Amino acid sequence: MKFDLDVKGVVSPFSAVQKLFEHPNTICYPDEKKQKIDGYRGFHTNVLEACIGCANCQDVCMNDAIDMITIDEEKNPKNGSGCIPRIDYGRCCWCSLCTDVCPPDSLKLEDDCIWANSDSNNFLYMPKDK
Amino acid sequence: MIDFLKDKYEVIEKTTTLWKIKIEEKDLISTISFISSNGSFITLAQIACADWIEDEIFSLNYILTTEKRDKNLMVEINVSREDTQLPTLLNIFPQAEVMERDLHEMYGIDFIGNPTLYDFALENWNNTPPLRREFDTLAYVNEHFNFRAGREDNKDVKAETKRRRAEAKRLKELNATK
Amino acid sequence: MQQSKNRLIKIYHGPQHPGITGNMSVELDLLGETIKGARTHVGYLHRGFEKLIERRTIIQAFTIVCRICVPEPDPNEENFASAVESLAGIEISEKAKYIRTMVLEMSRIAAQMLWMGGQSGSVGLGTVAQWSIYDRDLILDLFEELTGGRVYHMYIYPGGVRRELPDGFLDRLSQFLDYFEKKLPQYDNIFFDNGSFKKRAIGVGVINKDEALKNGYVGQALRGCGIKRDVRRDNPYLMYENLDFEIPTFEGCDVYARALVRRSEIRESIKILRQVIAQMPKEGLIMQKIPKHRKFKLPKDDTFVSVESARGEFGYYMAGDGSEKIRRMQVKGPSLIHGFTLLENLLIDEELSNVAMIMNSLGICPPEIER
Repeated sequence: MKFDLDVKGVVSPFSAVQKLFEHPNTICYPDEKKQKIDGYRGFHTNVLEACIGCANCQDVCMNDAIDMITIDEEKNPKNGSGCIPRIDYGRCCWCSLCTDVCPPDSLKLEDDCIWANSDSNNFLYMPKDK
Repeated sequence: MIDFLKDKYEVIEKTTTLWKIKIEEKDLISTISFISSNGSFITLAQIACADWIEDEIFSLNYILTTEKRDKNLMVEINVSREDTQLPTLLNIFPQAEVMERDLHEMYGIDFIGNPTLYDFALENWNNTPPLRREFDTLAYVNEHFNFRAGREDNKDVKAETKRRRAEAKRLKELNATK
Repeated sequence: MQQSKNRLIKIYHGPQHPGITGNMSVELDLLGETIKGARTHVGYLHRGFEKLIERRTIIQAFTIVCRICVPEPDPNEENFASAVESLAGIEISEKAKYIRTMVLEMSRIAAQMLWMGGQSGSVGLGTVAQWSIYDRDLILDLFEELTGGRVYHMYIYPGGVRRELPDGFLDRLSQFLDYFEKKLPQYDNIFFDNGSFKKRAIGVGVINKDEALKNGYVGQALRGCGIKRDVRRDNPYLMYENLDFEIPTFEGCDVYARALVRRSEIRESIKILRQVIAQMPKEGLIMQKIPKHRKFKLPKDDTFVSVESARGEFGYYMAGDGSEKIRRMQVKGPSLIHGFTLLENLLIDEELSNVAMIMNSLGICPPEIER
């Protein structure tokens, strides 16, 4: 077996010991949380006074995730069909094409992104009115 | 090589580095082995297949690249959609083996002389080859799977708008007569 | 006493194996510890993207394309946008080209960091992965600010890019590059100059140099043999003609040469990013005007485009038929040839413990073999 001396190859990995004296890079979740960033693609919000029920969002969604359902009280007199969108989060891929084509710009995405539920039939989400 | 081919075939120039020629099915092996051994287009980059069901043909494109990898040549042949049989390019390019295996599974094209035409990505599939246009994925899904309940209250927006307008008009006429 | 004949033992390396770069398996015939035959099996990750695209319009299909390759989604988006623009005859503005170049180079550095974690894990050095995934996380924070998502960006749109650069983004990118360049010597100390990695990697997985070009190998498999080929230099796209960078090559054809090529490519990407930050124009259109999604029709024509990703050359063939849907889009990634034609021949007469190291050095990624 050939033996060639490679001093640098044996000694230089020990420089990793300096990390013992540095502060770790991880954060203690859930006591510390990460800084929220503007423009993150999270859950949907819909301003009901501006939504006109045109179903452009349902037309462009490529996963067929949006249903248009009727509401009882009327929030916007210009809403011709009386329907507002409801989104199936089992199918949504958060591409935000629905927010790009919304004509009155009422459908938007917010920062929140955590939802946990033990029943798999509970993922039909009604966007918050903000 | 391009100037030489311009005498024999009609060469379509798509961009400054991409050309295309169309040949007959019977000339496939002789043309490709001539181009790859006598000129600079020595590598096979891709075998691409498109299904033109309205003209009843498959159009196969063999895409060749130069040694310096700066120019591409597309060699196109049109074959029939039923009982397609083509000779294999395995003896000229070893990488053609796996590309032909993929096309055999997805389109049902038989390559004579290729010993590896077994399953590639699907397992125990006995239906029509999936990428042919006559295979309807929506009909297959409706037949074999159940949709999750809870979305039955979806309304058609155009029908709702018409219904509400007719309702509002009827109410207005009723109030006018009173 | 009758001597028992030597028989070959067959084992499956994968699909559940910590040394595999994804979900695929290699069927090995072993004589003791030496491999005498190998056959690759894929099919655990087939999602049927090419059939899904047949029923969707162009803008709906753009959201599917980035999911074809998991470690590095951006070259797929660029290929799709470039093929649609070439068929429809759209020219994009210079500012959009600079922004796309910046996104592609950032994505290249992130993919090389992920490779470093995988390669060191296959040799037994677990510390490298802990450091490199943290540095990759800082790049993903920058992407979150720019595009709204960390891994699947959906940002490079046919016609331009989707959002404007945020205020101060180029300063933050500059600060990240300064911090990152200071950390690179630490990776040299524990990984590239490490005696145990060198002893395992030199002379293993040697590619035959003479048939490399004809068989269609791409990326580091060629550059690790001394053959200088790169799509950014040979068939340039976007802004690469105006930028100054080298294509590193090393002789050796083995696993160690391919690792050194990737180490030099990280430094070249940092150089390219600094030039892009300095040359980025202040004004310009982000998106050209394109028709609405049910009215955007492609002519009856076909084309072929290609892009250099962190692992090699990606090629797309696209055909349109006059309607608003794409007739055919066929994807060919670098792993299709490397995973079958190259790997099955390279593993003959190698040891069983080296299989994971060789697969990681070729960069075989199963999602793009069987999209």
